[in-house]
Amino acid sequence: MAAASESPAPRGPLTLERASALRERLVARDERALEELIALATPWLLGVAQGMLSDADEAEDVVLDAFRILWDRVDTLSDDQPGLMAWLLRIVRNRAIDRLRARRRHGLRIERAQRSGVLGGEYDEPVTPNEAAHPGWHVHESVHAALRDLPEDQRTAVQLAYFSGLTHSEIAAQLAIPMGTVKTRLRLAYGRLRQALAPLKDWV
Amino acid sequence: MTQQHAWFIEHVEAFALRHLEPDEERSFRDHLERCAECRKELDRIERELAWLPMGVKPVTLRPGLARKLSRGVLGEREPVWRRVVPWAIAASVALTAGTIALRARADARNAAAQLAAASQALDAARDTLSVLRNTRKVMHAAVQMDGQEGGITILADPVSHRWNVVVHDLPQLPPGEHYQFWFITDGGMVRGTEVHTNLEHPAVMTMGMPKEGGNVLGAALTVEPAGTSSGPPRGQVLAHLML
Repeated sequence: MAAASESPAPRGPLTLERASALRERLVARDERALEELIALATPWLLGVAQGMLSDADEAEDVVLDAFRILWDRVDTLSDDQPGLMAWLLRIVRNRAIDRLRARRRHGLRIERAQRSGVLGGEYDEPVTPNEAAHPGWHVHESVHAALRDLPEDQRTAVQLAYFSGLTHSEIAAQLAIPMGTVKTRLRLAYGRLRQALAPLKDWV
Repeated sequence: MTQQHAWFIEHVEAFALRHLEPDEERSFRDHLERCAECRKELDRIERELAWLPMGVKPVTLRPGLARKLSRGVLGEREPVWRRVVPWAIAASVALTAGTIALRARADARNAAAQLAAASQALDAARDTLSVLRNTRKVMHAAVQMDGQEGGITILADPVSHRWNVVVHDLPQLPPGEHYQFWFITDGGMVRGTEVHTNLEHPAVMTMGMPKEGGNVLGAALTVEPAGTSSGPPRGQVLAHLML
């Protein structure tokens, strides 16, 4: 068994060929490939999980779960399914939502979402060189720009729904607006986002 | 298109993004099993918004996290195992070698007794390894003694309720004193075993929970005067660990 290393995330462009090779190596149970994927993906996965859960330990558990699932099932992923990174992001977000709902502390959850929000206040923060050096930063910039360009009411709805894991009814209660309005804002917002994100390709 | 199907089509995006209430999610999952159109639409939405989570900034990993994750996925143990397992393996090898040596030297009169003792020692080694394999909780405390920095580590098997206790890097005590291991229970301190150790030889012990005292809440290590085989601690407390 290869020893785990604490190597930094591999730098340089992530081509589709490289992503495909990584997947093939994972299917072949190459432990170095797993370490590479962990180094590449964890900063993003942890960002999502920590933002939603507001708990570093729980966030690490969620990320570990996602990698375990991937390691166990990578050979069942067909070629027409999304890339490894997209798959991991979805697993992490779903697991985080499961945990939020299991807590049954909606009041605290909503309060946290309102107080900080995953995206709240980040739009004008300066970017540090370390952040910009993360593989995948170009995807973040595109998503960030798409979110920034949403009307404020739609962006707030997306933040509460997508990045804080609230349901329609919870958002309606939080914003004191009818549930139909919540649905409309989200539908419009996701329509814009789908258009804006369509050009993005798999990078892992 | 039925009215019911229209509702599902209208809400497939909300389902994909986990915005529905739990009971609505359950209904949707049931519907998906028999509706190819909704499955196709779900797949399309998931692809189109696959990168949305990356609107969140990446975080800098704390030291050791990447290693912890790879170990967690591959089922490797935490570092404490790397320190303790070699001791257990070395103990097993030594016991096995000792057994072979004993067998070679034994004459007809004491062979049976020596083999019984060796067998007992091997059983003890197996017991130690069994606890190691099933350890789910590890407790550790540093211990300062006469300028030496040692420690006590407990590896707890919650299924068999047995512990492996390792006391290491502590100096030999002068005559008239000994190290004493205690269980902390909700009924008070319960005397465990005397610990015989020195700087060269860590003490490795496997023990069950005490029959008296009630629930075990933790453990302690003290220095006790010789000849005290019962009663509460009287000497210096070196460490205590709580579950």
